Amino acid sequence: MSTTGPELKLIIVGLGGQGVVFLTRLLSQTGVALGYPVLVSETHGMSQRGGSVISHLKINGSEAPLIRRGTADLLLAMEPDEAVRNLPFLRQGGTVFVNTDNGLRAEITEHLKRRNIQVFVIPASVMAVDLGAAAVANVILAGFVAAHPALKLPVERLRQTLESIVPRGRELNLQALEAGYNYFKSDIGILAGQQKSKSENLTVDTEE
Amino acid sequence: MIEANTHQRMVLGNEAIALGLIEQGCRVATAYPGTPSSEILAGVIKYKKELGRQVYTEWSANEKVAFEVALAASWTGLRAAVAMKQVGLNVASDPLFSAAYTGVKGGFIIVPADDPGPHSSQTEQDSRLVALNAKVPVFDPATPAEARAMVEPAMALSERYGLPVILRPTTRLCHAVQSLTFGDTPSPDFDIPAVKFRRDPPRWAATPKFRYKLHVELNQKLVDIAAEFDESPLNYVVEGAIQNRKSRRSPNGGKIQNRVGVIASGVAFHTAQQTLLELGVELPLLKIGTPYPLPQKLVNNFIGRFQAVVVFEEPDVCIELQLPDRTRVRGRLDGTVPAAGELAPEVVSAVLTGILTEAGYQVNPPPDDPELQALVNSLPLPVRKPRLCPGCSHRSAFFALKREFGPSAIYPGDIGCYTLGTNLRAVDTFVDMGASITMADGFYQANRLLGDNRPIVATIGDSTFLHSGVAPLINAVHTGARFVLIILDNHTTAMTGFQPTPADDHLADGSDAARVVSIPELVRACGVSYVQKTDPYDQESFQKILREAYDHAHQDDGGVAVLIADRPCVLYDRSPVQTQPLPVVITPECDGCRYCIEAFECPALVLRPDKSRVDIDYKICIDCGQCIDACYKGFIVPEAMVTDQHVAVN
Repeated sequence: MSTTGPELKLIIVGLGGQGVVFLTRLLSQTGVALGYPVLVSETHGMSQRGGSVISHLKINGSEAPLIRRGTADLLLAMEPDEAVRNLPFLRQGGTVFVNTDNGLRAEITEHLKRRNIQVFVIPASVMAVDLGAAAVANVILAGFVAAHPALKLPVERLRQTLESIVPRGRELNLQALEAGYNYFKSDIGILAGQQKSKSENLTVDTEE
Repeated sequence: MIEANTHQRMVLGNEAIALGLIEQGCRVATAYPGTPSSEILAGVIKYKKELGRQVYTEWSANEKVAFEVALAASWTGLRAAVAMKQVGLNVASDPLFSAAYTGVKGGFIIVPADDPGPHSSQTEQDSRLVALNAKVPVFDPATPAEARAMVEPAMALSERYGLPVILRPTTRLCHAVQSLTFGDTPSPDFDIPAVKFRRDPPRWAATPKFRYKLHVELNQKLVDIAAEFDESPLNYVVEGAIQNRKSRRSPNGGKIQNRVGVIASGVAFHTAQQTLLELGVELPLLKIGTPYPLPQKLVNNFIGRFQAVVVFEEPDVCIELQLPDRTRVRGRLDGTVPAAGELAPEVVSAVLTGILTEAGYQVNPPPDDPELQALVNSLPLPVRKPRLCPGCSHRSAFFALKREFGPSAIYPGDIGCYTLGTNLRAVDTFVDMGASITMADGFYQANRLLGDNRPIVATIGDSTFLHSGVAPLINAVHTGARFVLIILDNHTTAMTGFQPTPADDHLADGSDAARVVSIPELVRACGVSYVQKTDPYDQESFQKILREAYDHAHQDDGGVAVLIADRPCVLYDRSPVQTQPLPVVITPECDGCRYCIEAFECPALVLRPDKSRVDIDYKICIDCGQCIDACYKGFIVPEAMVTDQHVAVN
């Protein structure tokens, strides 16, 4: 595929029913609207009845369907144990965005440092309930990720995609996107128990 | 580059195939649902409506039926297609082999979806090997875009030679979603042939004497097609492994080397190419889009350039098997490539790293982190095995079954959501569609010889029963086998996405069915004397009827006793539960014994992290109330019964 923009490899994980597929669609269709070649691999069938769900999303990448362990730029997780389970997909200097009320398990802290992986945390499920619907937690996470330069998809384009693909509750979904975005701007997530300041967390480690 | 008057859309691989079929004038499309193929027919229905095409679409009773219905259409001159999963091709093999000899008139494409892994199948068999055996050409696409594009040459080849052809995707293509270009160029308008089905006995009704002539004809077709494939643009060499992007770090100086070459087909081609990019090695790759009959000249010329060639294809050998000289070839047959399991990027990388370092190349170190992986593997992360949904009527049926017959019965099972009865230890065997009945039959006969008197209780779904349960049932009735059969009728084909069955009142595209097939009448017509319909939610009644059925089966003039457990799938139709909800609470007395979780296993029953008691996850509980019977100590009770003295702890 010919590339027209920056290459991005995302792994998106969660449990069946947490809206991983919709979240993947929101991001992938935004890539398409920007004119980028996009390829997604989804899990279907048995693993969806309450099981782990994983999507591989490649923007401006090759036509190989799966992202190889150790090469993903971003890991988006709707659930902290699934985040930990799929950490090996991230490259050195990759970034994790995870929906959780706490941080990630302490056992991995040392490895995060070694791999120079940054973790951003948002209690999206709690925020979604506050907004009025548990189901929009995935959209809150999307807004959160969009506020970080690593995503390379402008939040304005995400907003447009959201308006066109959301089956119902347009207003609520747009609020959810804003809520996630604003949460990042106002209060950086907790890195495994340590609060970091705004300026420290905004560097993005790119491969040379 | 996106041209004017076109737009890009994210399209599922299966839907890309459907789009290709519609664009190439396919007029009849049939299928039986099966992961990873189910969205193909659904895609044909979607696009026929969107593009306003007149196409007959059908969810057939089984894959052999689907194949033959579409085959008849192709014999009238219409273009036709049939889709299925790879094991479904086993069911359709009978007409496939015959149709290769008789040939076709309108283009006829068979789409069997293979499942390397396997992710959701009984085998990792390779449909291309079935094609090799049946002598039917194969197109092997590597992406959704390519699958859509291959329909045109596949239909054209099928019509040029009067031969069915196979278009073979795999799971990672079927369930990939890729941005595709939708244009406003009108699709070719295919004329309805002036003469429809024309009698031709030496072909359409060929008896063995004529079959010999047809076989000679077929063999010649394959020789001619192989020669055509040698010139086809679907098979090509990529000289530097990376066409569009420079390898960022290339320890070998970015020069093209000729010690090792790669041959690959399907999804594995792109995985191999991506891997070479990551390893930093420029190697020529030969992409094979038509693995059977193999373009021998092209492939053997390529092999001749190198000291060694590695072949990546899945789930089994096809290209490798057709090579007359394999001295320089590394692949599955010599143990270089693992002979089971998917060709995930890590697997391809390990194989290539081994071969390349052996051949003296410098390769980039692997990007993954074994230390982190080892740590993650050692952590007590929750095991998320597939389970029946909260409120599933199958769970109620299996729970009652275990209570009535216990661990010493034999429980032949079948294929569908209810296969998950294994979690409740109420499914002891599953082999293929319809086998629950035949295995029960076989166990009965064997046990008689052994003097084994254990009860035999088989379970089968409504769609599976209609697929291939009738012949087994007739056999069991006729030979006097004694067992209980439960048809778990949840009114749909649930596991694969709620496709209609012949017992449903609507057809594939939503129009009305001409007639609804009655399962109880069908069972009676098979000669079964004991047929009872019952609601599995009424667990007490269900248990009584199970015992009654067993007794009937074993009385003097007994035989197969059939129960129809009738209740719709709660994902498909939740209205019965919604009109009669029964919310429950777990009382404070709960001691965390976990019997409910082990024996009933509803995902909404959750053990507290400190293991002190079980709670209900009201986010996923659907208020079916079925778990009340799951606590023999009486700690799960209807919410309405909770008095001031019992404080709901949830």
